[in-house]
Amino acid sequence: MFCIAAFIILILLSIFSAKYRKMLGKSWACVARRVTFRPCDTNFKEEVKSKLLSKVALKKPNMVKAADIGLEVGAVLVLLITAWSLYVVVKSGLNLYVYGTCNPSNSASCSLGAEACSIETVKPSFIDSVTSFKVHVWLGNEFKDLGKTVSNIPTRLQNWEPKDYLPQNATYQKAFDQSKQTALEVIDPGCTFCKQLYINQKQAGFADRYNLSYIAYPIPSAKEKSGYKFENSLLITKYLEAMKIRPLKDASTPADWQIIDRIFTWQDDAKVSYQIRFNAFYNEKDAEAKLLQWAKELGYGDEDIAALKTSAMSTTVSDIIAANRKTVEDKIKTVKIPTSIYDGKRHDGVLSVQDLQR
Amino acid sequence: MFKKNQHTQASTGTRLPEFSFIADDEVYIDTACQSLRPLPVQQALQKYYTDYNACGGRVKYAWGQKVDGLVEQTRESVLKLLQLSKKDYSVSFTTNTTYGINLLLQQLPAGTYKKIITSDIEHNSVFLSTITAAKKLGIPRRVIDRDNDGTLPYKKADLVGAVVVVNAVSNIDGRKLKNIADLVKDTHDQGGIVIIDAAQTMAHSYDMLQNCGADAICFSAHKMYAPSLGVIVARKKLIAQLDISFVGGGMVHAVTKDDYQLLPDDLSSRFEPGLQAFGEIIGLGAAIDWLQSVKPFGKSPKQYMQELSQQLYDGLSQVAGVTVINYEPSPVITIHTTTYDAHRLAIFLSGANIMARSGTFCCHYYLLEKQRLPPLLRFSLGLHNTPQDVQKVITTIQKLIVKGA
Repeated sequence: MFCIAAFIILILLSIFSAKYRKMLGKSWACVARRVTFRPCDTNFKEEVKSKLLSKVALKKPNMVKAADIGLEVGAVLVLLITAWSLYVVVKSGLNLYVYGTCNPSNSASCSLGAEACSIETVKPSFIDSVTSFKVHVWLGNEFKDLGKTVSNIPTRLQNWEPKDYLPQNATYQKAFDQSKQTALEVIDPGCTFCKQLYINQKQAGFADRYNLSYIAYPIPSAKEKSGYKFENSLLITKYLEAMKIRPLKDASTPADWQIIDRIFTWQDDAKVSYQIRFNAFYNEKDAEAKLLQWAKELGYGDEDIAALKTSAMSTTVSDIIAANRKTVEDKIKTVKIPTSIYDGKRHDGVLSVQDLQR
Repeated sequence: MFKKNQHTQASTGTRLPEFSFIADDEVYIDTACQSLRPLPVQQALQKYYTDYNACGGRVKYAWGQKVDGLVEQTRESVLKLLQLSKKDYSVSFTTNTTYGINLLLQQLPAGTYKKIITSDIEHNSVFLSTITAAKKLGIPRRVIDRDNDGTLPYKKADLVGAVVVVNAVSNIDGRKLKNIADLVKDTHDQGGIVIIDAAQTMAHSYDMLQNCGADAICFSAHKMYAPSLGVIVARKKLIAQLDISFVGGGMVHAVTKDDYQLLPDDLSSRFEPGLQAFGEIIGLGAAIDWLQSVKPFGKSPKQYMQELSQQLYDGLSQVAGVTVINYEPSPVITIHTTTYDAHRLAIFLSGANIMARSGTFCCHYYLLEKQRLPPLLRFSLGLHNTPQDVQKVITTIQKLIVKGA
């Protein structure tokens, strides 16, 4: 145990100083014996330990035994920390490959992938599990997550076809053109990165080159009272789906797309983005009033608006939203919003203008 | 080069000035492995390198002639020190004691001797070389347990045609071969020969070998204040018997296509194939001169070493938790403790600038197989040591063992 820990520490020291490299060679010989189930070279182990203890022995001889035990405990800790670090690195690498984030349960905490709103899953932390004597549950979750990641590796290698995930009532930002490929994006109206993607798409003329459709997916959150990461996302989604059921006649851009455009790009008189208004200022009543006001402005008559209200609160829309959620979580299996599917690939997070122009 | 801390050392007045290069706070106490070289020896070696750094034994120019003269002088000094006659003995140089003993045993003629006798407390240089020699000669080998006082107990009948190979002083606990004179006489009476491992004898107990009549004495110059060198002092009669198989260099008299002749009169060259370490040989001469003239604080080296040995033995014996394995005081004192493994203790001592040897000292059979002892810690004193050094060792051991328990 000790010589393996010494080897790990010596690797680090040898990076910075050549004087430790000879000892690194010795410790490697010792580690090689240990990993092949032969006894470690006691000379090396004793030499290193004794050298470390010699100052204690000469200054505080009565502390040698305690320091000796401390070294052994330290060696175990070094080993455990190293093993755990390796596990985390491998797991994070796999997650980054599979999900585009090193931490699928909170992708915002991982700076390596593209920026996105994370679909968070709440699990007890290690410290929580220790205090509640449920370390086994925590360990089980860890390895379950790893298993899930490994089982999802094939999703990165598959050919992603938007039509496999398109909702039945899909609308397109611009009129559908048979000659163009379809692009599908999963967005949450409250997600700031979805807004950024929308702006980048506009700048890149993305909707001119693809038949751009979307799935509105209010990101669930166990932490929020509403049950969603952004307070009014579900309400907006309901109206978007209602507008798909009751589309504006003769509109060049579908009403739901126009609502999305207003949320993502419009500002009120105080120069505050409407997305911020919906997320941080509007309660459900205010949000609904704003959506209905916009519907009227778009050309919906009073009767249509009443029908929209009914439709938005109907089981039909609820079923559509539930079906879409199932598609996102069980079929697409993304943990980052926005997610775009086009050109045979799945792209997690915000895409730059340059990426969208390729 | 050799003047490290000279002023500091001289000002203390506690250490021999020939060892003034040793720092005040450093205690080298591993003379059984290798002694420190006093300044006259270092100077003799340096003088060879700077003033007449030539080959010996084969050249006619002045430097070479000087080397030849000094090498010859060293051979004579060795014989004089051991009070052996030039007529009966010759002195050869090798690399160390182990090499010398092997050279002798591996070249013994087949069919001449009936058995090999050695003892249980031998260094591997004797223990292993007698095993291989017995196998090669096809004769039995017997290991006799030495008495606690170092005497080799035997019956005269044991010695018939025997090659007796034993140490004169043990490197484990300093036990001396007290019956060396009787052993040599009785072995000769029974038609055998005696080869003495004198590695630990020459520095402080060479008097016990003086005129002892052994057939060969092998020792290491580097354990007697000289540079690194091995020495074989052997009876000419024995050398003439040997089946010389390591050949070449200075021993050659004539060579034909398929044969050769060795120098008939220069028997010392029989163990000296190839060029010799002339500087080291000359350094040995200087060491012998120094050893015979030095008077540490007005005392003889033997008396001084006895006093230091007694101080160390008494001091260590009184430390609770320390087991001294010596039966009596000696410049070589070995201990073990229940508190620490000897290797760890040696490293701790090193942290206090005390340099002592840990392990089994190349005596695997006796210490590991027979006594089943743990690794040991050995202190071996030299003329460079002082009573203050000894006190520091005792105090440090006491602190480590008693408080660390």
